[in-house]
Order: sequence, then structure tokens, then C-alpha cells
Amino acid sequence: MKGLEAFIYSILGDKKKKSLVIILTAVAFFASLMMFPTKMVLAKMLPGKSDNTFSVYVDTPTGSSIEQTKEVSECVLDILKNEKEVMNLELFLGQGIPLDYAGLVKGAAMKQTENVAEIAVNLTDKHTRKEPSFLMVQRLRPIVKQKCEKVVKGSNIKFIEQPAGPPTLASVVLEVHGDDLTKAREIAVQVADIFNHTEGLVDVDVMADDIFDKYELIPDTEKIARSGLSVEQVNNILYLAFEGMAVAHKNSKNMPDQIPIFLVLSDKSKRLENQSETALKSKLSSLNLMNMKGMMVPLIEVVNVKKVKSNPMIMHKDLSRMINVIAETDMVSQVYPLLAARDVMIEKFSKDYEIQKAGFTTYMFDLYLTDKKTGKKFLLRWDGEMKVTLDTFRDLGGAFIAALVLIFLLLVVYYKSFSISGIILLGSFLSLIGVIVGHWVANLFTSETFFLTATSLIGFIALMGISSRNSLLLIDFTKSLMECHGMDKRRAIAVATATRAKPIALTAVAIILGSALLASDPIFGGLGVALISGTVAAVFVSLIFVPVLMHNAKAMDFKPLDKCDVKEGSISITK
Amino acid sequence: MALEQYEVKDYAGKLAKGFLRNPLTSVLGAFLILMGYLSLSIMPREEDPQIAISGGAVIVAMPGATPREIENIIINPLERKFREVKGIEHIYGQAFNNYGIVSVMYYIGEDREDSNLKMYDKVMQNMDILPKGAMQPLIKPFDIDIDIPIMTVAFYAKDKSVDDVRLHEIVRHLQQKINAVQNVAKTTLKGNRKAQYNIEVDLNKLSAYHLSLGQIMKAVESVAVDVPDVKGRTKSKKLVIFGVKNAIESVDDVNNIIVAQYMGSPIYLRDVAKVREGVDIQNFKTASILFKKDRDAKMSDEKSQVTLTIAKLAGTNAVFVADDVMELLKEYDAELAKEGVGYVVTRNYGERANEAVNELMNHLVITIVIIALMLVFALGWKESLIVTFTVPAILAVTLFIAYLSGQTINRITLFAFLLSLGLLVDAAIIVIENIHRHLHAHDVDSKDMDELLVEATDEIGAPTNVATLAIILTMVPMAFVGGMMGSFMKPIPLNVPVALIASLFVAYIFTPYLSLKLLKKPTHKHHHHKGGK
Repeated sequence: MKGLEAFIYSILGDKKKKSLVIILTAVAFFASLMMFPTKMVLAKMLPGKSDNTFSVYVDTPTGSSIEQTKEVSECVLDILKNEKEVMNLELFLGQGIPLDYAGLVKGAAMKQTENVAEIAVNLTDKHTRKEPSFLMVQRLRPIVKQKCEKVVKGSNIKFIEQPAGPPTLASVVLEVHGDDLTKAREIAVQVADIFNHTEGLVDVDVMADDIFDKYELIPDTEKIARSGLSVEQVNNILYLAFEGMAVAHKNSKNMPDQIPIFLVLSDKSKRLENQSETALKSKLSSLNLMNMKGMMVPLIEVVNVKKVKSNPMIMHKDLSRMINVIAETDMVSQVYPLLAARDVMIEKFSKDYEIQKAGFTTYMFDLYLTDKKTGKKFLLRWDGEMKVTLDTFRDLGGAFIAALVLIFLLLVVYYKSFSISGIILLGSFLSLIGVIVGHWVANLFTSETFFLTATSLIGFIALMGISSRNSLLLIDFTKSLMECHGMDKRRAIAVATATRAKPIALTAVAIILGSALLASDPIFGGLGVALISGTVAAVFVSLIFVPVLMHNAKAMDFKPLDKCDVKEGSISITK
Repeated sequence: MALEQYEVKDYAGKLAKGFLRNPLTSVLGAFLILMGYLSLSIMPREEDPQIAISGGAVIVAMPGATPREIENIIINPLERKFREVKGIEHIYGQAFNNYGIVSVMYYIGEDREDSNLKMYDKVMQNMDILPKGAMQPLIKPFDIDIDIPIMTVAFYAKDKSVDDVRLHEIVRHLQQKINAVQNVAKTTLKGNRKAQYNIEVDLNKLSAYHLSLGQIMKAVESVAVDVPDVKGRTKSKKLVIFGVKNAIESVDDVNNIIVAQYMGSPIYLRDVAKVREGVDIQNFKTASILFKKDRDAKMSDEKSQVTLTIAKLAGTNAVFVADDVMELLKEYDAELAKEGVGYVVTRNYGERANEAVNELMNHLVITIVIIALMLVFALGWKESLIVTFTVPAILAVTLFIAYLSGQTINRITLFAFLLSLGLLVDAAIIVIENIHRHLHAHDVDSKDMDELLVEATDEIGAPTNVATLAIILTMVPMAFVGGMMGSFMKPIPLNVPVALIASLFVAYIFTPYLSLKLLKKPTHKHHHHKGGK
């Protein structure tokens, strides 16, 4: 303690040394801030967590049959079933797995077409398993996609992990807004292509129906009327023949449900030779309709077959037409691939479009495109995790500023001095150095990237309070030393620092130990590291930097009082 | 007693003084810890905190319309109407062939019942803007509690004798029993195949007999009718009940339906079609499972399965519900085995929540022990013991308050505790450190123990209060963070300030009280310690 007291005393006596402390602190502060642009510390909202389960979404192109979807899914199952850590695999064809948090926002509950399937993969318990689920997904993803996506051309396989925090549609979501459907579609496909070539992005998908060939049967009303039929009859028979209908029901005592009596053409007789128009026509010619006179009319006689393109689904968001392009990140933060992809987009689209960047909002990465030829406008809007991240960081930033103001006001009320309150605030703000450097160090020691996350920010906000407490106790003590013991300012600060060093260090150690277990948690690791490293920084700041500022501050010139608040002896400075 | 009465200036000293010699202090301590323990065992446990997401979808079908038509006459008008509702964050519209869906997402935290009502109301008010030919709109609000099952159980047939229909029948029976378990809300079946009589018409035979599909449909419809019994009256005023029996009792009855007469001889359905008792062949939504007993076993073959999903009522304890369901399943073990049906529990959030909570509880205990050990070295074992006692007391108070305010124990709540752990021992450490310093000061003999304790507590009261208030102030704005993340993190701003306030009270009340019981004035008065050492 004596050593620290002498150390502080010597610093306070020398102008050069004082300046050196201030300069060093400033350098450390800016150096740590520089770790963001130099990507030494990477930011992400929430890191992945190891779980006992993940799921695989299989999407074959729109218009594919359930058999085709099944083929792709079986391929996935074949690979997954040989994994040692997989305990069971559930395949749900034509529907989603029982709803979970991830599926909630990904529209899993709405799935009910033949071209979708979902596989639930349950793993061994995460405590006994060496490989975390996110690494397993990372390892399996390329193998599965490479082998199974080619089973049915145009299929898309996605690996869905349980979100660590609130669920989003996908890590990277780009909404292509625009009234011109074909053009918007073109842009979306280009965007998807850019995503596919961006490092770190996987599971890229354009959330739009694929356009496929279909046949339109145009009823010839005149012929229908002349042969004594009706259009409705034509429709009904067609549906009955190929899709089938429950024409009656039977109630049963033994069955839990009614038994429908289902009428349909036999599988053999309804199957077409191939996808060609001739095959369809020949099938339709053998399907007869009975008219009112009891005569048989072949169906093909009353309709014309025309090959057309299917009408893709139209998607709106907030009243404007848009197409989503989504991608997941492969163990990296979505921020960096997103910015890389955005740069490529600006370069690529600038040929045909005027590009205008968005202003400073939580949609700050949006791009406004105007077609150079037609003047049509499009908007590329980033949503998904990016939007949530920006919103969260904005709100937490706001919370942080509010916290600063509140603490400042509280201190001004307590000390009735702006400069003393300023010192405390400045001192507590500097714990940011520790937070950033701590993340850099943590990143060096972990095999995966250790991100600065939203929880790190929460840790930092909490640290503000903790380090202001240190400075507060220090100033209080110095004040009473000067007022009650008539000590001179320099000596009083040195003594106070030396005396308060122990409780400051003790509470710091308590916080560090208390947060040690937090640091190992995937989600709250950021908070743990922020608290640990921030506290260390806070101790140095309050024991060296704050005393220097105190010595410089005029507001700290307390006069010895005649009648002292603090009784003699309560502050024991034994010499 | 005292030579000179110390004048108490701060709440800290008042509290210390008031409770120092009060016999009820120990009772209060025991009571707090008991309340905390009770709250811990009663409070509903879950893995992630509840996020109030409200929203829903309106589905309007209009057969025969193309996406462009649906967009113009259904999606656009509905979207415009939803703009009139306050609290909606996003409106999504999807126009498909034959139908359109408009879904709305409210801002996170909007009241769910209100939101649902507003949505329902808006659609009902504007039924007249829907086009002719559109069907009655379906309104489906989200309900996370009910929609996300906490348990899923996959049932599969162990041998060939159990077909899909029988499996469905058995699981349907079990579903009824499980739905009766306390706090179980929605149960659904996935991948189930229902019994159905399939009439598969051969197109070639149809043309050979000169028949149309319409005729067959009419023939079947005319036979399969259910009519209620009729009442006849006798002359002696009595009732005679009689009715037409349903003509279809089995597949054979369907087979024997006469679809037409040809040259006087009947054509039976069996002549032109294959009628089979089977499953719903038009339903392509199937499910299958592959599983193994333990890590090193071999994966079974793919088996078709029926998954039973079980959701719980909002605000109930997932752990208890899952346990009850598991117990019920155990009861039916023998019966299911006899039927040749096996099952695999493929999801159990109750267990997961319990594990997550218990793991974090362990972390809490370990952390407390580590801090206690650290204090033994820094302050001495008695002082360490005092500080260590305050931790469970503070946590107990916080838990109890959380329970009273209707929160649940989840990962985030426990992280709030872990986060505050480092902070909340501070107050106690500062008090005990000051007591320690006073006890080793040179004028210790001139003071009475009681007064010394009160004075030591009172002295650091003001700065500690302000400092703790500062930390609380940093946490409060976090409560106003919006969106999903804000809701997710909410337990932190809700619980940390409570824990910190509790830490002040506990430090001021129990630290001097326990010090009085455990600490003694040093007898070796000739030895002078240095300040704070």
C-alpha cells in the first residue's frame, strides 16, 4: 500500500508524468477503438449456441411431386444416419416438423405443398458430445448439399439451427421491392448469385415460386353447350379423375374418425406417359363425360389444351411488392459478408441502374435503384438479423446514453460539481478499453471467433456503474481526508488511492470471479468477458488515471473544515 | 454504555441500529431464505423467456383466380384496411393461385388478446369489400404458447401386424388421455393416416362398359346415406321407432354397388374399379423416423410414424407438464408393447428447461463458493462467512419478488442473477471491510461494539447508496429497449435493480448483525494495523 501511495504521489508531483498518463490512456482508448475497423474484434448480435437438435429444410422446385421431394430427403437421411452423434431422425414430407422457435418465423407452419419436407435431427446430449451442433452443421452442410441437391435439379437444402436469441427469418435477408415483377425477379436472382459467391454465406434461396410449364384447359363453351354438358361438369370430372374426392362418408363405431369413401382413377390409369402435351391429350381423350341424353362425349372434344407458364406467387410487404432473398451465415457474423455483398451489388448494378444509398437510419445499408432506361424504381432493403442487430444496437446505444445522463445528474446532485461528475463519468467510460481488448484476447484463445455481442454491450453498461462506484468512493475519501485531516491535495489523493485500493481490488476480484463462469457460455460469454476485462481496466483507470484528473480539477480543492462530518479516527491513516 | 453516542446520519446506520439487537432479525433472515427456496421450486421454469409476439393471418380462398387477380381484389384491399389498425408493425401479403394470405405482425409487446380482437374486428367490418366468389375468410391468430409444442412423441409400429390405420387409432386413443393431463393445452397428430375406402376406377374398363365417372359418383352417393330413425305411432298411442340402416357397412357393400344396368344385367362397382379398405391415399403428408437406443448402436430402418405434439397452457410450468405426460406414457407402456407399438420422445422442452435452470443454479453456487474462498484470504474466514450468507439472502429476496410479479425462471433470469452476483456482494464487502478496519483501528478500545458496528455501517452508507443507485440507473434504460431483443433481455433490467436494492438492505441489516455475533474486538491492542489493511 505504501508503494502505491508513493507511486501516485510521485506522479501527481510531476507535470510530465501526469501528461504521460493522460496521453497513454488516450492512446489506449483510440487503439482499442481501432480494433473494429481493422477487424481484430468482430461484432455480431448473438453467437451460435450448441444444442441437442437442428433441422434440415428440403425444398424441391415448385411443381415437383412428393416422390421427388422424398427422393431428395432420403438422400439427406442416408448421410445423416451414419453420424455417430445422431440419436434419431424424423422426416416430415409435405409439411413442417412440429413447430419450434426457428420455424415460427420461417413459416414452417404454413408448409403444405408437395415440394417441401423437413427433417428433425436429434443429437446426443450436448454435455457428453465433443462436437458442438453448430460445428456439426458446418461440417455436414457442404457434404449434404453437394450430394443431394443434384438428385432433383433446382432443389434447395437448408440447415436450420435453433436461434440463440430471438428468431429471425434468416441471418441475411434482402428484400427486393419493386412494382415490375419480372425485373424484380431478375434482380433477386442476381442478388442470389452474388450471395452465392460471397464468402461466409450459405443456404442462399430466392423466396419465390419457380416458374414451370403447365397446361391450361380452355373450355370451348360452344361445344360444351351443344353437346349438352356444362363447364362445371367438366371441372368436376377432371378433379374427380386426377385428384379424387370423398364422395360419401361412413360412420363407424370402432374408428376414431369417420371413414370417407374416396373416388379416384386408379393410379395406373391416371398416370401420364410423360410431361408432353400429346400424352396429356391422349389421356384426356379416354376420359368420357355423359351428357343429358346419356351419350358419351370424350373430354378432349370440349376443351383446348394450351401450354403456359405458371403464375408465380406474389409477395407483399407493407403494401409493396417484394421478393425475399435469404442466406444463412456459416459461423461468421452476418455484418461482414453483408457489407462485402453490398459492395459487389453496387458495382454490378451500377451498369444498368442509378444507385442511391440510404440515409442514417436502421435501414442504413439499403440501396435505391432506378433503371437507367425505363426509370423504374427498385429498393434493396436489408432485413432479418441485420435489422434486428441495428435496432438492438440503436436501442442499447440509447439506453447507454440515457444511463450516462442519469449517472451524471445523480453525481451532480451528490457533489454539486460538474467537473467532479465529469471525472467519474470519463473514468467509467474508459472501461471500454478493457471490454474491447478483452474480446480480442478471448478471440485469440478460442477456436471459434469470439464476437462482440449485444450481451457484451449490456456488460459494458453495467460496468459504467461499477467503475463509477470506484471513482466515487475514491473522491469521497479524498474529500474527507482534506476536510477533516487538513491534508494537502496531493497527499490526500495518494493516501485515498492507496487506502481504497483494497476494497476496489476486492470488489473487482468478486466481479471477475463471479463472471468467470459466464465467460464460458456461448451467449453470455460476451457479457462475462466484458465484465472481466472491463473491471481490470476499470481498476487501473480508477487507481491511476482518475487520481491524475482529480489532482488537475479545481473542484477538488477542499478546504479543511472546523467541524468535520467524519469523526476523528474513523479514517485511520496510521503513519 | 457508550462513552459518546454516535449520531446516525444515513439510512444505512438507521437500519443497522434498528436490527442489531432485534431478536426478529434472525427470524427475518430465515424467512427470506425460506421464501426464496419456495419460489425457486414453485416458479414455472422455461428455457427462454416468453416473448409476446402477436399477429395472425387472414386466408381468403377464391377458386380459379390467378395470383394477379387475388392481389388486386383480395390482398390490396385487405392490406389497406389493416393499415387502419394501430400497433401493427408489418403487413405481409401473399397472392397464390386460388387463394391469398394477408398476415400481420404487431409490435413486440402488444397485448395479444387486444391484437387478435382488433384483427378479427377489422376483417369482420370489411366483409363487404371482399369480391364475389371469394369464400368466407379464415382468421388465424398466432398463439406461441399453444402453437409451439413442449413435447413431441413419435409412435411407430414394431411389427408388420400394426398397419398405419391401427397405429392412428391407438395414438388417437392415447391423445384423448394425454389431453386430459393437467395444463396440457393443444395436442395434434402429425403424419397420421386415416382409414378410408378407396374406389380406384380403371379408365379402360370404364370406357369398355360405356360409363362415366359421374355415374359412379352418383351411384355411390345414392347408397351411402345416413338417415335418422323415424317414429311411428300405434293405435294405442305408443311409439314405434324404426330406421333405414346405412347400406354401407364394409368394403364388400361398396363393391356390390350397382353402377348401371347394361342390357338388363347389372354392372357392379367391382367390375370397373378396385375398392379397398385402406388409408387416405390423397394425403401426401407422411412422417417417418429412424432412431437408435444409444450412441454406439446401429440406426434402425426408416419406419413410418405418427407424431403426437403436446403444448401447455400459458404460464404453467413446462417441467411439471412434461413430467406428468411422461408418467402417463409409462402407464401405457405395457399396453402399447402388447399392441406392438413403440415410441420415441423426440422433444422434451420440460427436461431441457429443467437442465438449463439446474446447470445455471450450479454455476451460481460454484461462483458463490469461489467468492467466499477469495474473501477468506482477503478478510478472514468469519468475515467471508458473513458476506457469503448475504448472497443467498439477496437472491432469495429477488426470486421471491420475481415470483410475486409473475415472472418465470429461465436462462435470462439466471444470467441476470449471475451478472448481479459480482455486484451484489459489493455492498456487503464494503460494509464488512469498513467494520474490519474499525475493529483494527487504534481507537477501538474507546468504543462500544454496537456503536462501532453502526458507525462503520453508517459511514460508508451515503457513497455506497449513490454508487449502487448509479449501477441501478445504468440498468433501468435497458427496460426500454424495444423489439424481440428487448423482450428477450427483459429479465435483466427487471431483476438486477431489485437484486441491487436488496443487496443494500441485506448489507445494512445483516452484515452488522452477523458481525456482532461472529466478530470480536482484537485483544492485542498494542499492535496497530495500518489503515485498511
